Amino acid sequence: MAETSLTRTAPVAAPWLSPVTRLRIVIIVTIVAVWEAVAASGLLFRDVVPSLVVIGGALVNILTHVDFKVPVDSFELWIPEFYRHLWVTISEVATAMVFGGLAGLVVGLTLGTNPFLANAFERFLYYLGPTPKIIFFPIMIMWFGVGPGSKIAMGTISCFFPVVLSAAAGVRQIDSVLIRVGRSFRVNTWQMVTKIYLPAMREPIINGVRLGLGVAVIGTLLAETKLSNRGVGFLIINAYSTFDMPRMYALLIVLFVVAIGANALVGRASRR
Amino acid sequence: MAASPDPSARPGDGGSASAEPILVVDDIYKQFETQDGVLVAVDHVSFDVKPGEFLSVIGPSGCGKSTLFNIMGGLLDGYGGRVSVAGETVRGPHASIGMIFQEESTFPWRSVIDNVAFPLEIAGMPKAERLEKARHFVDLVGLDGFERRYPSELSGGMRQRVSMARTLASEPKILLMDEPFAALDEQTRLLLGDKVLQIQQDLKQTTLLITHNLTEAVQLSDRILVMTYRPGKTKRIVAIDLPRPRTSEIVGSDAFGHYVAQIWNDLREEASRGMRDDESRRGGARRA
Repeated sequence: MAETSLTRTAPVAAPWLSPVTRLRIVIIVTIVAVWEAVAASGLLFRDVVPSLVVIGGALVNILTHVDFKVPVDSFELWIPEFYRHLWVTISEVATAMVFGGLAGLVVGLTLGTNPFLANAFERFLYYLGPTPKIIFFPIMIMWFGVGPGSKIAMGTISCFFPVVLSAAAGVRQIDSVLIRVGRSFRVNTWQMVTKIYLPAMREPIINGVRLGLGVAVIGTLLAETKLSNRGVGFLIINAYSTFDMPRMYALLIVLFVVAIGANALVGRASRR
Repeated sequence: MAASPDPSARPGDGGSASAEPILVVDDIYKQFETQDGVLVAVDHVSFDVKPGEFLSVIGPSGCGKSTLFNIMGGLLDGYGGRVSVAGETVRGPHASIGMIFQEESTFPWRSVIDNVAFPLEIAGMPKAERLEKARHFVDLVGLDGFERRYPSELSGGMRQRVSMARTLASEPKILLMDEPFAALDEQTRLLLGDKVLQIQQDLKQTTLLITHNLTEAVQLSDRILVMTYRPGKTKRIVAIDLPRPRTSEIVGSDAFGHYVAQIWNDLREEASRGMRDDESRRGGARRA
């Protein structure tokens, strides 16, 4: 008896792709097919929905067409100009993350540990949080000029809000006994923050940084599309205004990949 | 600060005069403002603890035991009276006092060894030295082999032993414990009690245990202070004259049963008063 039941439950060969993967492939193939069909049909203007082949060509061109001389003193280094713009955007976002993240953390810790200040100010953060930060752009231009300064400022403002709100909430969810343990061992304020508060708030902080990164990218790019002569946002709006649609789509694809990469980087740091 | 401290009034209860007390709790009074008015949590409680002694404070829930614990640990102020350690008045957490809390209190982001090394790290001890010392205390509570594990991988009893090792690693002159086994099952509690007894005897550790568990108190203590229910006063101090070294085996002995019965007699009155009070309060709330 036992033997027959054993032979009956002989292992079935595992499907070579899981149902989820298969569904994903189906969706992607469908989108590509529909896109190509629309492009070929000419229902919309050919230039508005260019063929994926054309977009692919533009993508290759952006990434490999060498057209910019990097000022290096001893020899000549030529790179595709796109990388210069990508570098500008990445460094703007990174700087904004540092300023906005640190400010958010410090203010969040202060509000989270001080009910009086939280009572006085936290509601303003909740009002300002969902406000589209782009309305501050004219002010930032006046304060920090038309260069990277105003873009960094936009990124900083954007990233500040999610970080400060999750940090303030994060402080309050710390188990109070851990703070009493710290006090009983007579930790000083600095040790309390670095050895108890911050590690205990890891999850909410990482969530805040994740959300902050997203809106910092949005804030910076949006600012670049409005008024600038450098950065990926500038390239995109430039491609748009010269009606170079394949190039614009190709730039969006690159941006998409960079955003996924940045998010993966934060995710990786959080699992350390 | 609605207190009436009078340091000269009572120099401490009970005990022989063989050694100078290391911990003196003198006329502690603490009240809280609540919605229902003023609640007196601790009402002029005095006692002292001699070096190497194991004293338990027992009382029904709501008798102000934990308030007393927090006052002695320097985590609570605004009280009347005085707590002193080796003649020095306690103002804020004192270096000679180590606390073990009732709640789960290990740092979940630190491994066992790093949890235990925490107070040494705070004191600025070099890494190699503090890890070596921490390892000693991990062994002492019987967690050798678990150094690299994280609290989430351990059982409740093991986590409570990590907290114990962490506090012992700071080498306090006085160990304060607030119902450290409250969240554990009875068997684990008895076995951990053995561990505490053994450690206490090995280190000659002066210990003050807050508990509401009679068996635990009699099993571990030299003296037991019974507190009354609301306001928390000293009802009686009972000396437990059972031979040492003890283990959980004495739980079955006649003498043990005698002490349990005697203290239960005192405690029952207070506990039922607490129960009636609780019921009438809930009843009143329902009617309102």
